[in-house]
Amino acid sequence: MAITAKPKTSAWAVLWDLLTTVDHKKIGLMYTATAFFAFALAGVFSLLIRAQLAVPNNTLLTGEQYNQVLTLHGATMLFFFIIQAGLTGFGNFVVPLMLGARDVALPRVNAFSYWAFLGAILLALMSFFFPGGAPAVGWTFYYPFSVQSGSGVNFYMAAILLLGFSSLLGNANFIATIYNLRAQGMSMWKMPMYVWSVFAASVLNLFSLAGLTAATLLVLLDRKIGLTWFNPDIGGDPVLFQQFFWFYSHPTVYVMLLPYLGILAEVASTFARKPLFGYKQMVWAQMGIVVLGTMVWAHHMFTVGESTIFQIAFAFFTALIAVPTGVKLFNLIGTLWGGHLQMKTPLLWVLGFIFNFLLGGITGVMLSMTPLDYQFHDSYFVVAHFHNVLMAGSGFGAFAGLYYWWPKMTGRMYDERLGKLHFWLFLVGYLVVFLPQYALGFLGMPRRYYTYNADIAGWPELNFISTVGAFILGLGGLVWIYAMWKSLRSGEKAPDNPWGGYTLEWLTASPPKAHNFDVELPKEFPSERPLYDWAKKGVELKPEDPSHIHLPNSSFWPFYAAATLFAFFVSVAALPVPNVWMWVFLALFAYGLVRWALEDEYSHPVEHHTLSGKSNAWMGMAWFIVSEVGLFAILIAGYLYLRLSGAATPPEERPALWLALLNTFFLVSSSFTVHFAHHDLRRGRFNPFRFGLLITIVLGVLFFLFQAYEFYQFYHHSSWQENLWTGAFFTIVGLHGLHVVIGGFGLILAYLQALRGKITLHSHGTLEAASMYWHLVDAVWLFIVVLFYVW
Amino acid sequence: MKRAFAALSLFGLVLAQEAHRVAITHPFSPVNRETNFLLVWVLVFSVLIFGVVAGALAYITWKFRAHPGQQGEPPQIHGNDRLEVIWTLIPVAIILVLFGLTARALIQVNQPIPGAMKVEVTGYQFWWDFNYPELGFRNSNELILPVGVPVELEVTSKDVIHSFWVPGLVGKQDAIPGQKTRIRFVAENPGNYYGFCAELCGPSHARMLFRVLVVPKEAFDRFVEAAKGYTPPVADARGQEVFQQNCMACHGVQGKMPPAVIGPELAFLGNRVSLAAGIVDHTPENLKAWIKDPAAMKPGTKMPGFPQLSEEDLDALVRYLEGLKVEGLDFKALPKF
Repeated sequence: MAITAKPKTSAWAVLWDLLTTVDHKKIGLMYTATAFFAFALAGVFSLLIRAQLAVPNNTLLTGEQYNQVLTLHGATMLFFFIIQAGLTGFGNFVVPLMLGARDVALPRVNAFSYWAFLGAILLALMSFFFPGGAPAVGWTFYYPFSVQSGSGVNFYMAAILLLGFSSLLGNANFIATIYNLRAQGMSMWKMPMYVWSVFAASVLNLFSLAGLTAATLLVLLDRKIGLTWFNPDIGGDPVLFQQFFWFYSHPTVYVMLLPYLGILAEVASTFARKPLFGYKQMVWAQMGIVVLGTMVWAHHMFTVGESTIFQIAFAFFTALIAVPTGVKLFNLIGTLWGGHLQMKTPLLWVLGFIFNFLLGGITGVMLSMTPLDYQFHDSYFVVAHFHNVLMAGSGFGAFAGLYYWWPKMTGRMYDERLGKLHFWLFLVGYLVVFLPQYALGFLGMPRRYYTYNADIAGWPELNFISTVGAFILGLGGLVWIYAMWKSLRSGEKAPDNPWGGYTLEWLTASPPKAHNFDVELPKEFPSERPLYDWAKKGVELKPEDPSHIHLPNSSFWPFYAAATLFAFFVSVAALPVPNVWMWVFLALFAYGLVRWALEDEYSHPVEHHTLSGKSNAWMGMAWFIVSEVGLFAILIAGYLYLRLSGAATPPEERPALWLALLNTFFLVSSSFTVHFAHHDLRRGRFNPFRFGLLITIVLGVLFFLFQAYEFYQFYHHSSWQENLWTGAFFTIVGLHGLHVVIGGFGLILAYLQALRGKITLHSHGTLEAASMYWHLVDAVWLFIVVLFYVW
Repeated sequence: MKRAFAALSLFGLVLAQEAHRVAITHPFSPVNRETNFLLVWVLVFSVLIFGVVAGALAYITWKFRAHPGQQGEPPQIHGNDRLEVIWTLIPVAIILVLFGLTARALIQVNQPIPGAMKVEVTGYQFWWDFNYPELGFRNSNELILPVGVPVELEVTSKDVIHSFWVPGLVGKQDAIPGQKTRIRFVAENPGNYYGFCAELCGPSHARMLFRVLVVPKEAFDRFVEAAKGYTPPVADARGQEVFQQNCMACHGVQGKMPPAVIGPELAFLGNRVSLAAGIVDHTPENLKAWIKDPAAMKPGTKMPGFPQLSEEDLDALVRYLEGLKVEGLDFKALPKF
């Protein structure tokens, strides 16, 4: 860059900084900006929908095009806005600050997660520009409609899979951060409620995403190579798709709620000038929601003809989940009660949330009452219910967070009058749109209807009113955008702590410096309100010694890896499978991972002390593995269902047991060799370590070669289009093979690091993570041998 | 805007004359009365809870606002264990009551009714087929049922998942390919009931409606008698010719299940109150418009258009089709729900 008289950052320099940043604050800002942009885009889609439905038999947006808009409205709001803003948006910016840390546990993985997220949005939206258009199957893409529908579905499936990588890595990163990087003296029970909520949401997502991954993968496989689990013509079960899909897609609404409950708790405490009411009960209630949230999914399936006892069980757990949710709500009210309420914009969103979520929760209980659900299911009552909780609930929470942390993130104050106007327009607009929709549900109007007849009493009037409300919301949206623009352009400079907040992020500058904290944090945390407690005790904050501050280096490779993976998914979605571009992009992706692995994370080697004693890589991988276990578990559960019900029977010619046993020998031995290699490393015996690692890789390669041979043989002597068992075999054993390749590649990365001298006694590089993953791969194999070769 | 006002004034008119009053709360079957009972219970509890919590919220917003110049901090209360127990146990109690009522109602609703008349309902993109196996006839898009007789619908699909929903009579069940779901109810009130597909199934998901025509038992018996021994009347010879040349490949007029189903049964088309799967009123004009260009009314329909038919042939065809009916039955007089 040339030296100019007036130092000015070029656009290219800004872009390069963003592309290579590993700073959690910048990543958090990018996530937040992207997520709220997605909200605005999906909001425009909703205006189109409501405009079409304003009058009967309208012709603005009909048939397939209407279905495309409603699909993208749902998918964009759910996957790209609401699940991101509260979790990866604010979470990335705020959680390390709240914990007194300088960044998350795995900063480069964090950057990768963001770019993969952006890639997923691009994948979903680019479908518009291909001949098949955007997906038109609803965000729920039920089978068999989704395998018969146009090519937009391919892009949607690819987007979900790419987003899955992004979010699981993000979840694991948050948990590792929360376990390992808390300030000394801050026990888990002294963490801010928002951090607890990010923790709970991350655990829930890791555990349950497998359902969506399974459903998505199987639809994509069916579309691309005719491999099906659901086709009734060969004994498959369309309802199995729904079991997989909802196993995730119900818990995800709690992933879409919990972070916002956390935000609301913070805002309530700060603006009422009181501690949280019932902190411990809030934590337990949240965990109760996590557990119960995984046990209610089939309330989305009350009308598919499952047995009465099945329906009763799910009705029971669904109704029960109102209890911990109520506890959260009541404790929020308790936090406000008796306070000195500062009626600023963030608090207004909290009050609006409480009012709206009350109604949304009540209508949820109504939907749990199965015979009532037989009427309400797939009607506008459900549409009103989920917008009630997701928009006027979580969505209001997102805006509470935005206005609350806006000064911290941007360094500017916003105009209070505009903020309040935005709130009121959204509250009134929301009520005008959705209260009529509850009525429409009672009047029998189904959802996902592009039009309706004029001869049904009440429908035209209620729809018209609802549309008016949508335009009130649209107006509110414009006020919001103006408020942000005005603040960024000319808002007054924000002090460190404009609200008198009690948690550690308010100790930093607005916006924080790159290294976050300039002071050495005290080691006593009497409660979750450190700033309050320290002020009360008159604790003096000493400046930090600058030589103690170590920040990770920027890196191009996370972006590069995400971009090549994105390109891979484009080639899978847009072209017949397999195709040459898939391999090209995978190779480019692998190259990026090698460069990433060989790059130094820190300029000077730093001893990392983690609170748990386990390295960040270990902690991150351990939690990531939860999702892998979940994926195999759910697919195996589906396989067991198909096998035990007699739908899937092995064909006459099937892979031989002896070859599987030979492969078992390779894989099990390789677990031992990597274990002993790791042992050698810890004893400083570098040559045996490297050799052991190499042997492990060789054993893995042998496994892979024999497996490839077996697959080739079986593929040419079977047909997954005609035999369900064959499809299940290739899916699960094939998925395992993919994991062998990934795990083996991880070990190769460690080996390359070892060759370059980057693995030392104190820095184990990728080895810990790779060997843990490898053990998982081996353990899963043992199940597979029994389920597919012995049985 | 102009269109909106036109529509608004139009349905003022429509409301006065022809509107269907669709509602899930119509007590026209024991099942619906069962769900109304559940609704009353949950609404009573809801009003209670809403009143208490919203009341607390209103009180907070009024009483605890910070005043300008207010000094000091409010009482720094961390919680109240007794309150926690109360506001956990009371919701648990309410939930258990509601759940108990739910379980009882669910068992009741899903109970097979001995001696129920069976109808096989099949969803297609984008129409409905009704086969009466015990009575030996088939109709499409309008399900004719007798008052006071228990009915068991066996619902399935031959392509994607649909859902069969007639709100004024009973809750819905999904129509799933390769599987059968069952809807059991007794219709106690004569009427022309709107029915809807309730699972997104393609471009014309919103145009896959139907009617349930509930008639007094003696009218139903007359219809069945006529249907069993039905020979399609020939109201127009040229029309029949046109039909055989253009329509017979997909449509039957015998009122019986064909060996392979392609399109809807037209045997009793003349009796229909609606056309094209419940989406427009049954008039000769609408019928003509439909035949000329089905895709205009129903995007993605599998029925091709027949723009090549001359006006005379089209009129003859319509006369023929209007003549396909059972005499002495007027479904249009039924009250509209």
